[in-house]
Amino acid sequence: MYLYMGNDQKRTAVTMIVWLCLLVAFLGCRLPVVGTEEDSGPFSTPFPSLNADALLSPNCSQLTLKLDFSTKVVKHEYIVAFNGYFTAKARSDFISSALRDVDAVNWRIVRRDNPASDYPSDFEVVEIRQDTRSSLLTLQDHPYIKRVTPQRMVLRSLKLTDTGTDGASPCNDTRWVQKWQSWQSSRPLRRTSLSLGSGFWHATGRHSSRRLLRAIPRHVAQILQADVLWQMGHTGSGVKVAVFDTGLSEKHPHFKNVKERTNWTNEKTLDDGLGHGTFVAGVIASMRECQGFAPDSELHIFRVFTNNQVSYTSWFLDAFNYAILKKIDVLNLSIGGPDFMDHPFVDKVWELTANKVIMVSAIGNDGPLYGTLNNPADQMDVIGVGGIDFEDNIARFSSRGMTTWELPGGYGRVKPDIVTYGSGVRGSGLKEGCRSLSGTSVASPVVAGAVTLLASTVLNRELVNPASMKQALIASARRLPGVNMFEQGHGKLDLLRAYQILNSYKPQASLSPSYIDLTECPYMWPYCSQPIYYGGMPTIVNVTILNGMGVTGRIVDKPIWQPYLPQNGDYVDVAVSYSPVLWPWAGYLAVSVSVAKKAASWEGIAQGHVMVTVASPAENDVSNTGEMTSTVKLPVKVKIVPTPPRSKRILWDQYHNLRYPPGYFPRDNLRMKNDPLDWNGDHIHTNFRDMYQHLRSMGYFVEVLGAPITCFDASQYGTLLMVDSEEEYFPEEITKLRRDIDNGLSLIVFSDWYNTSVMRKVKFYDENTRQWWMPDTGGANVPALNDLIAVWGMAFSDGLYEGDFTMADHDMYYASGCSIARFPEDGIVIAQTLKDQGLEVLKQETAVVENVPVLGLYQTPSEGGGRIALYGDSNCIDDSHRQKDCFWLLDALLQYTSYSMTPPSLTHSKNRVVPPTGTDRPLPQRLEGNHLYRYSKVLEAHLGDPKPRPLPACPHLSWAKPQPLNETRKKYKYYMKILKIRK
Amino acid sequence: TVSTKILRKKRAELSYLHHSLQQTSTNESLTAEERTIHDRTLLEVRDSDHHIQWKVQFILGNSSRQISQCRNSIQGKILLTDELGYVCERKDLLVNGCCNVNAPSSSQYVCKSCLANGCCSVYEYCVSCCLQPDKQPLLEHFLNRAAEGLQNLFTAVEDHFELCLAKCRTSSQSVQHENTYRNPQAKYCYGESPPELLPI
Repeated sequence: MYLYMGNDQKRTAVTMIVWLCLLVAFLGCRLPVVGTEEDSGPFSTPFPSLNADALLSPNCSQLTLKLDFSTKVVKHEYIVAFNGYFTAKARSDFISSALRDVDAVNWRIVRRDNPASDYPSDFEVVEIRQDTRSSLLTLQDHPYIKRVTPQRMVLRSLKLTDTGTDGASPCNDTRWVQKWQSWQSSRPLRRTSLSLGSGFWHATGRHSSRRLLRAIPRHVAQILQADVLWQMGHTGSGVKVAVFDTGLSEKHPHFKNVKERTNWTNEKTLDDGLGHGTFVAGVIASMRECQGFAPDSELHIFRVFTNNQVSYTSWFLDAFNYAILKKIDVLNLSIGGPDFMDHPFVDKVWELTANKVIMVSAIGNDGPLYGTLNNPADQMDVIGVGGIDFEDNIARFSSRGMTTWELPGGYGRVKPDIVTYGSGVRGSGLKEGCRSLSGTSVASPVVAGAVTLLASTVLNRELVNPASMKQALIASARRLPGVNMFEQGHGKLDLLRAYQILNSYKPQASLSPSYIDLTECPYMWPYCSQPIYYGGMPTIVNVTILNGMGVTGRIVDKPIWQPYLPQNGDYVDVAVSYSPVLWPWAGYLAVSVSVAKKAASWEGIAQGHVMVTVASPAENDVSNTGEMTSTVKLPVKVKIVPTPPRSKRILWDQYHNLRYPPGYFPRDNLRMKNDPLDWNGDHIHTNFRDMYQHLRSMGYFVEVLGAPITCFDASQYGTLLMVDSEEEYFPEEITKLRRDIDNGLSLIVFSDWYNTSVMRKVKFYDENTRQWWMPDTGGANVPALNDLIAVWGMAFSDGLYEGDFTMADHDMYYASGCSIARFPEDGIVIAQTLKDQGLEVLKQETAVVENVPVLGLYQTPSEGGGRIALYGDSNCIDDSHRQKDCFWLLDALLQYTSYSMTPPSLTHSKNRVVPPTGTDRPLPQRLEGNHLYRYSKVLEAHLGDPKPRPLPACPHLSWAKPQPLNETRKKYKYYMKILKIRK
Repeated sequence: TVSTKILRKKRAELSYLHHSLQQTSTNESLTAEERTIHDRTLLEVRDSDHHIQWKVQFILGNSSRQISQCRNSIQGKILLTDELGYVCERKDLLVNGCCNVNAPSSSQYVCKSCLANGCCSVYEYCVSCCLQPDKQPLLEHFLNRAAEGLQNLFTAVEDHFELCLAKCRTSSQSVQHENTYRNPQAKYCYGESPPELLPI
């Protein structure tokens, strides 16, 4: 696991520190803490003056203001924000002097009786009853006054009406208007003082507001309008918040309520030697300078990382037990790692949430690559937080893509849950003052602080639990335009709306995502990127059920599929599977969608919904009558097209792709030494996303095979695509594939290296698990692949090659690939000159090898038989660490396999060689003593060599019996799906 | 962007780097191995001079004491244990937090699934078994010899119930190679010894 912080603006500095970090040798190192020390003054960026070139489009700001501030109960009160922190007397003096020259005799400072009022503040609430407009303008001119809200915003936007609208403004997007209005109408503002805040900052029109927002002082608690809640007297008091991090020094001036510091490492100190833990604690609870969200919360500091950033699962286990004993309410984990198979850790996190600890964790800093979600933020019971910058762009570093626990048979969950500011956020410095840092380590405490503050606003704390808090956060989050759900989750944290929802909350179940619209782009990418059709592999949506009624729950009877007949719902088949017990606080609802046979040549939109009823034991019910229930409706909308011709359909073999965790599957590219594990899922929607998008743009339909090769109808597909496969093959699969190819299916294999000497060389001592790790395969399982293709007289070698070359006028980079050792003599083989990377790894010697066969094309001889294409390296179609893509080559190979068109650029290449016969060097053998059988679905341990298991049955979906509704869905109110309120 | 990609397997990078780039001897990796073993030992070492200052109040006498409110084990998927040692299904939990002793699912001091070494398969049974009055000497013995790494926890527990809740949880003593249970079946232990070490 590592700590998540970095400064994305200081790449070189980061790199240096990373390497330093490596040299001081730690294992648990998540991200090193780096940052730029800023001047300790409150703000270094000037706030735009009244006539600044504020380009929030007038439409947008007007809209926002109009809707956000339409209630006028506290209409005479204004927030006056200062340029720094001043005592109450100084603040009063400034306001008096500013208003001296105006006739505003009738004004007063509204008293704030909260614990923070003893300390210097940077704002004041003023009631002004006469000459409001001139008073505000005068106030604005005072040198120490930064801004007056919200009425000044109104004035400004009116004033800006003439300056014209930014044409590209997404604020014109009517969906956002609808979203707002539906929310407004269904949920009138309960607490009017909320409207005092500057909802302005929340406008999600990131394009139009760019220039203005850039100038925002990056004071994250105030940008999220925590001051509105502070002013109402909520400051986090009575909430126990735990920071699991690098510790905190005893006398840090920013903290007033550090209840306890404990050390769980083998270093005898409680102090933070790095600054990571101090920063995180500051974002949550600092009371001065860079203010945190909940200054009065009870801080529990758990030091679980050493100064070298070493940490172990066992330290966490003991520390977590202590957190349970201490009845911690909110726990921040700005840490994570790829090992979701660390059962002791995952189980412990479940145990924490089951004990009502609200867990908030950083989603990881491995973006923009997909398939990079980190544990524990990827758990259903944890609030996983991604990062955005102050312009509402997803931060580049923020991890994304679906969870990969469910592969290969299922489909991943949507994560992160929400996003918030994580780039250039100010927080407490190691000893004093403030600094600015970036990373999802920063975004996580923003949410943890907000959650702490929110919990302190709720009168009946019994209602606050890990599920209800998450429900409130995701239901109130603001969706960012143009970003899909696997990057932003439910959108951007909105503290005040979460406050409103939480304070009217009634225990209930809800769904994440709350609807399935496979036509909605880009939010529902990748679903929206490919319509469904009869005969295709079922599309699976992995919905998370959140159950705020109790830590344990169950689904009553079975979920019901109700197609809308007037909207062609009967053209869709739906199958549902779900967690037998929803524990802790959550479970899954896997919805598989297929097209009915009668729609095989139909095109259109079909709709319906799934109804689920969740029940929980009624613990707090005095009558003790048994159970509480909650029924949730999941609208489903899909686009159906006629089944595409065979040649356009590609089947991606997911079943034979294995990855870390649990075993050591080394990277395909051996140069990537600081990322040695293959852990991104190898799925078309994770690290093969670009390839998928490319194939879609070329008009191909790509489906995923999550079951053995024996489980698909080959007559439906033009090409089976096998990339970087690590799994073994059942004998039945080998036989079936041979038959399929005889009958016209084609096969493309992108292989990778497999050399037992190199595998022995890249073993390492893993401090996390305290054991030696030996790879269980090479980059791909070449011996297994050779078994699969042997029948055609083909084989890959145990060579390991690297280098740049040109093929068909394209620049190519071969990154740790193998060569073709054997190929039929009537096939086409292309060779290149490459470096012998095996020699380099083993002996640190450089040697260039000419005529390395890298590509082979072959037409099988049987009548109507398919074609086979082999290539020795997968790096050029893999997003992770890719240097040069070779999608052109994939296109050419598909032209060959699917359409039988032989690319002349390859057949007439000067690099064409006589197909190798495989006599010059031995084929690779499986590494003796490898543990692949531990992770394999195909092998099982046996005396002597592992043997194949019996072939498993193919997955079978039992389609729900439809209960059709003869009604028309008027319109989905997808935007802003608010939790139901039961009176 | 490579700089931001620090995997969990950080040590992996280091030794990998040594192996493939610098051809250093395996000494450095061995040093790393030795050091982690040392770290590990620190956690487990029992300093004979050191006794944690535990303050657990054991309730003497019989089990039929009457209380109006119960604390219970909160977390269970199906079962709960209350502070009187009753295990019951969630549906048989009374509003006051106690198990309904009349419900068929309720019984007191249940050691079901517990092995001779004091490790059980079900957390709630572990807690219930641990609450049995005759377990007091065993628990006191444990507290007197508790490893330093567990000091924070066991100096903070105040009574028999809190002690059993805490003792039965999986902890640093429950794992091998950090990410694997020593015994995935019987991992909740009220007894002194860690779970039996099973091969992976």
